[in-house]
Amino acid sequence: MATESQEAAALETRLRFFLGGGHDSFEELALAVFQHQARVVPAYRGLLAGRGLDPGSVRDWREIPPVPVRAFRSLPLVSGGEAGAARAQATFRTSGTTGGEGARGRHSVLDLSLYRASVVPNAARHLNPRGQPLRVIGLVPQPADRPDSSLAAMTEILAEAWDPAGGHFVADAGWRLDLARLGQAIEDARGAGLPVLLIGTAFAFVHVLDEGLPGRRQSGPGKGTGPASGAKASRWLLPPGSVVVETGGFKGRSRTVGRAELYRGIAGRFGLPIGRIVNEYGMTEMLSQFWERAAIEDEPATPGERTLHGPPWVRTRVLDPETLAPQEEGTPGLLAHLDLANLHSVSALLTEDLGIAEGEGFRLLGRRPGAEPRGCSLVMEELFGGHGG
Amino acid sequence: MSAESPVLDRLEGAAEALRGLANGRVVRVLGRAGRRFLDPGDPLRREALARIPDEAGLSGPMARLLLDRMAGDWAEDALERLLGAEFRDPGVLEGFREGAAGDRTRALGDRLAFHLCAGNVAGVGATSLVRSLLVRSPVLLKPGQGDVVLPTLLERAIREEDPVLGAAAAVRYWRGGTPSALEDEALERAGRVVVYGGAGVIEAVRTRVGGRVPIVAYPHRISVGAVAREVAGRATARAAAAAVAAYDQRGCVSPHLVWVEEGGKTSPARWAELLGEELEALREALPKGPSEPEEAARHQQLRLEAELLGASGAGVQVRGGAGTSWTVVFEPEAEFRGGCAGRFVRVQPVEALEGLPSVLEVQAELLQSVGLAADAARREGLAEAFARAGVSRVTTFERQPWPPPWWTHDGQGPLRVLVRWSSLEE
Repeated sequence: MATESQEAAALETRLRFFLGGGHDSFEELALAVFQHQARVVPAYRGLLAGRGLDPGSVRDWREIPPVPVRAFRSLPLVSGGEAGAARAQATFRTSGTTGGEGARGRHSVLDLSLYRASVVPNAARHLNPRGQPLRVIGLVPQPADRPDSSLAAMTEILAEAWDPAGGHFVADAGWRLDLARLGQAIEDARGAGLPVLLIGTAFAFVHVLDEGLPGRRQSGPGKGTGPASGAKASRWLLPPGSVVVETGGFKGRSRTVGRAELYRGIAGRFGLPIGRIVNEYGMTEMLSQFWERAAIEDEPATPGERTLHGPPWVRTRVLDPETLAPQEEGTPGLLAHLDLANLHSVSALLTEDLGIAEGEGFRLLGRRPGAEPRGCSLVMEELFGGHGG
Repeated sequence: MSAESPVLDRLEGAAEALRGLANGRVVRVLGRAGRRFLDPGDPLRREALARIPDEAGLSGPMARLLLDRMAGDWAEDALERLLGAEFRDPGVLEGFREGAAGDRTRALGDRLAFHLCAGNVAGVGATSLVRSLLVRSPVLLKPGQGDVVLPTLLERAIREEDPVLGAAAAVRYWRGGTPSALEDEALERAGRVVVYGGAGVIEAVRTRVGGRVPIVAYPHRISVGAVAREVAGRATARAAAAAVAAYDQRGCVSPHLVWVEEGGKTSPARWAELLGEELEALREALPKGPSEPEEAARHQQLRLEAELLGASGAGVQVRGGAGTSWTVVFEPEAEFRGGCAGRFVRVQPVEALEGLPSVLEVQAELLQSVGLAADAARREGLAEAFARAGVSRVTTFERQPWPPPWWTHDGQGPLRVLVRWSSLEE
């Protein structure tokens, strides 16, 4: 009889085959991964025991109990618990700005190669299906400067996969952008004849647009969102075939700059069609990502009408926020993901994000625009720990 | 300066006549207007009860309770007590009156006040309107989303009762954060701005007003509870449950965390169980309104997180009603934490309530009220210690969600912050 570690190794081999495009059954793998996690993640094991649930009795992946993403703040949700966390190759943190360290979620990644195995084929499918060489520019810090940022790590993985020069990171450890370096990196790409993959958070792009071009006087926010002009502006134009990836910043919070307006600004500044600007929805607690398909197929140019798509090893359900029962198709609800790439942590996740299923994907719903949360106490949530991202 | 808004012209035009009114008349008019909301046969009450549940997201029974309590505070005798609590001689609102030191003083409202509410529970706007009229300041009120019906109906009632007071109040709603010419002009013309909302809203108003006129700010806060060992039991759990349930815990006076003293007949963990039983009883007697999805999402996260912590041997115990109707989490370690998830409350043990002030002091800026259940012999000493730690209101669980009109709202007299003083020396 195989030992537990042999079984785990066999499961990982099978999973890697699936991530690499091999044929397997998501349903079967999901149950096997769940049973594995129920054994090796102490907090998860405790939860199931507390509910009197025998993991072997679960026959449908939809019945796998999800953990709330918030619990990544308070518990080591990783194989081996605290001891496992101590062995992690990387520890990604959510970006909670208030509430102190304890309010930031912590995803311990035991094996970064599994992260790579998920990131690259999924991003390739949505951004670079032919796998051509690209110049990867991140409005993010070097992973060495910010080892806790999953976005920086993802950018580096894509750079290693596609950029012969290994990519450019134009933010410092405090996420401050060096716009001169950004301009230089774009110029270099043009010189090298490489299309650019430009990756940044919505906030970083707002900052780029508001700051205006180096060497050019601009005043006031929003002034920089118009199309750039003149000799200086031309150095910001991305080569043909480039893609911009915008991530985060629109979930859960109202904003001063709407997404459509931001995309118009990005398109104007970097000289590419809005259809080449793609949103990525990722979570620190999850090793796989969701992508819009705008860059690979005819999706609506209006960003608000696009849908997000995960890889074959991720399934998403939309649940009634009140009861956690599955919502009827077309009804908005809470998003719950099952990500097989989270092999060494917990795959079944309940998010705080609201969305609506649409076709093969889903749309993320933000807070109702302009509305302060109801009730004078609600905002205190922010003081006790911000939204992860 | 632009002067284009007819409503602001009308309000400013009402200032002189308003200043000429005696306290008795103002109180009578407001009292009569308020009484209409208590009269089951009055169409105003019926309209309020029909519309508040939807707009405020409250159940019918909760909306009725809220209206009864609010309108009760607008009764003549309540308003008279408010004036008496705020001014040694309320006649200072009518003319110069002899002060304690001998010289005469006069309290004056503004020719125009602008009250701006964002994201508050139902009732805040109407209360603010009443306060402004009591000090004879014509007022433009922008209510918060979810609290438009009550001030609008109250304004109508006042207009129907008295043309002078009616001309001095206007309620206009626009979506917060959107460009509004009326908001721009009101901020420019008002002699005082009162703002209720999050830090961002208050900061934005401060920036725009720029120190030209006084700003009275009521930021978001939360409230807590404290139960002494000698009274830990079913009765205090029941009272605390009612305080948690009021406005589905969305008020700044709603308790989110209750500290229970160890050493009594009922242990803190057992008290948490009792609190759960009482919240379950209220689930039917005083149902929760339909949750907003964001609030339900947060409730689920907090509840499941607590369940995981409990299963990890952290000593956490979690109990909850169907859906997100209520959740009580017992946590063995005392740590100041909020929830803000709609009837989601934490219970933590403390060795002695006398140790709380050091915890409260750190959070004083966030704290609104402390619901304190303790023997009379200990109450005053504890209240003194809490007050020194920065707490502005110590109350009972029964009264916690329903502060009286004369309460020291965020540590200040509710009318005194709305006037300027003039003195007449001989």
